[in-house]
Amino acid sequence: MRKLLTLIQKDFLLLIRDKAGLALLYLMPIALVALMAYLQNDTFKAILDNKMALVVLDQDRDSVGSTIVSSLKQTELFNISYATANTTPQEVETDVAKGKYQLGIVIPAKTTENLRKGIGESVQYTFQPEGEPTVAQTARLTIFVDPTTKNSFLASLTSTMRERLATVQTQILLKEVSQQIQAMSPMPIGDVVLPEKLIELDERTARMDSSRLIPNAVQHNIPAWGMFAVFFIVVSLASNIIREREEGSYLRLRTMPLPYSFYLISKVIVYLCICLTQIALMGLMGRFVLPLLGLPALHFGNSHLGLLLVSLSASLAAIGYGTAIGQVARTAQQASIFGSISVVILSALGGIWIPMFVMPHTMQLVCRLSPLNWGLTAYYNLLLRGDGIASIVPQCAALLTFATICFAFAVWHERVKVRE
Amino acid sequence: MPMSAIKIEHLYKTYRGTDRPAVDDLCLTIGKGEFFGLLGANGAGKTTTISILCGLRHYAQGKVEVEGYDVVTQMEKIRPLIGVVPQEYALYPELTAAENLKIFGGLYGIEKTDLKARIEELANRLEVEPEMDRRIAHLSGGQKRRFNLMAGLLHRPQILFLDEPTVGIDVKSQQTIIDYLQQLHQGGTTIIYTSHLMAEAENLCTRIGFMNQGKLLATGSPQELIAQNQSESLHDLCLTLIS
Repeated sequence: MRKLLTLIQKDFLLLIRDKAGLALLYLMPIALVALMAYLQNDTFKAILDNKMALVVLDQDRDSVGSTIVSSLKQTELFNISYATANTTPQEVETDVAKGKYQLGIVIPAKTTENLRKGIGESVQYTFQPEGEPTVAQTARLTIFVDPTTKNSFLASLTSTMRERLATVQTQILLKEVSQQIQAMSPMPIGDVVLPEKLIELDERTARMDSSRLIPNAVQHNIPAWGMFAVFFIVVSLASNIIREREEGSYLRLRTMPLPYSFYLISKVIVYLCICLTQIALMGLMGRFVLPLLGLPALHFGNSHLGLLLVSLSASLAAIGYGTAIGQVARTAQQASIFGSISVVILSALGGIWIPMFVMPHTMQLVCRLSPLNWGLTAYYNLLLRGDGIASIVPQCAALLTFATICFAFAVWHERVKVRE
Repeated sequence: MPMSAIKIEHLYKTYRGTDRPAVDDLCLTIGKGEFFGLLGANGAGKTTTISILCGLRHYAQGKVEVEGYDVVTQMEKIRPLIGVVPQEYALYPELTAAENLKIFGGLYGIEKTDLKARIEELANRLEVEPEMDRRIAHLSGGQKRRFNLMAGLLHRPQILFLDEPTVGIDVKSQQTIIDYLQQLHQGGTTIIYTSHLMAEAENLCTRIGFMNQGKLLATGSPQELIAQNQSESLHDLCLTLIS
């Protein structure tokens, strides 16, 4: 037992002496979690706060053009500029392409007139079906988009614009229909009055109990980046193992009356402490520090024991992986490059960078092989679904199996090296 | 109690990916209390032989015993009896010399008070007391070598394996180490030593074994070997044997 305690003391001392490495182990995840939560939380706010420059070329100069412009003004998403009457659509396109505006809309001449005419003929045909049916002509508006605008940002704006255009279309249609009916009817008929929204979406988060868990950037990001940080200790652990080998101290340890298992257990205990304190620090930060930055506070879900179990299982999986890499890699540089790249790949596969549901089906199957995905799913079960321990058993079992395989591989590889 | 500290019978060792054996039919017995020099050019098989004796490598064929214990099946009994001083500074550079020695002493299972006294004694003998609280990374090559030797001697091993213990250091450090090794030998410790420094080996060793391409070419005291081969020195003998 004293030998094991001495080994643990040695590993702790080595970690403490590497102040830069230690700071990186703790500061990197904290910075990552804060930044990602803050950025994601503020994406929508950013759209609202940073208005997009929009140029409108209204060649219609009638009700369709003015309704569209006033409708876009209501969204408060745009800084609207008006192109002069003699501006051509090509000039609008050039201005947007140059980045002078992020969006440009061209409402062609006679849009209202054509629409009115088409709708009028259609309504007239409805009441007096003689000859060929008349179909109203589609009014074609052109939207130019700055090529540097991010697709995700653009998608939310164009969707808002489409929604507004649909409203305008309905308003014009109703107005024209009621005018036609008024003209045809021998009796006086009033305008059709409808509320702005006949159908409204009531968006709610599905939940199985009455828990207070609210999905938000903090609830999503802390487990995701927490998993990433825990697995990133692979680089430090693998480098530590290789440095010991390169410096010769490992050789001395192997000639001492000391089982190899002690060497591994010591590493596991020390790095387990690091992983768990990393997770605790990120949790506390989500709970107490992020609210000071205007972000929602992290809610720890309904099972604290469940959180501990997932954290333990994920940490052991990361330590096992780091030990295996440290055992196989020949140089610290090799371990560092392979360790960091493989963790980034596993985290991408695990749904840390982009959600798994947006990936193709085959890719989703591959993603289920990533230990980071198992850990993340378990955390989400606890922190977003409000589930209990039973829901995380499969993921914890998978993580622990992965850890066992990695440790077994490290032991086997060590024996092979001695035999060679 | 076996009279021989080390007994090697028909030892063969081939590394994966090579046809030529690193150790080829090596038979060698080293008596208790001997100061044995295992000499030869690079790649002669010296380090492989010592690695096998220390349990760091397995072998394909033969029988190897240390203090009467089999190195394959009874290594856990051998480890407390041996001390290893590798050619690398097998110490943690980020830790102080005292921390390193306390850790290695603790891992040998030495009681705290005994360890403290032992560290003081060795530091005094090897003249490194003022450097105890300095980090290994900040020490000179000679000081590192002395601490490297101390780490291998903390538990008072019966057999000491030394791999180039004085390579690349200043004359003063070299002399301090040599003096202490002679004291150890006089105290009854069996020492197995490898070096390229022939003059040092001639001066220190009671018996020498020359290895080349995995084979043991000759054994005997330095004086016997020089006389038998009509060489002027161990250096000349080495050149003759290798060529």
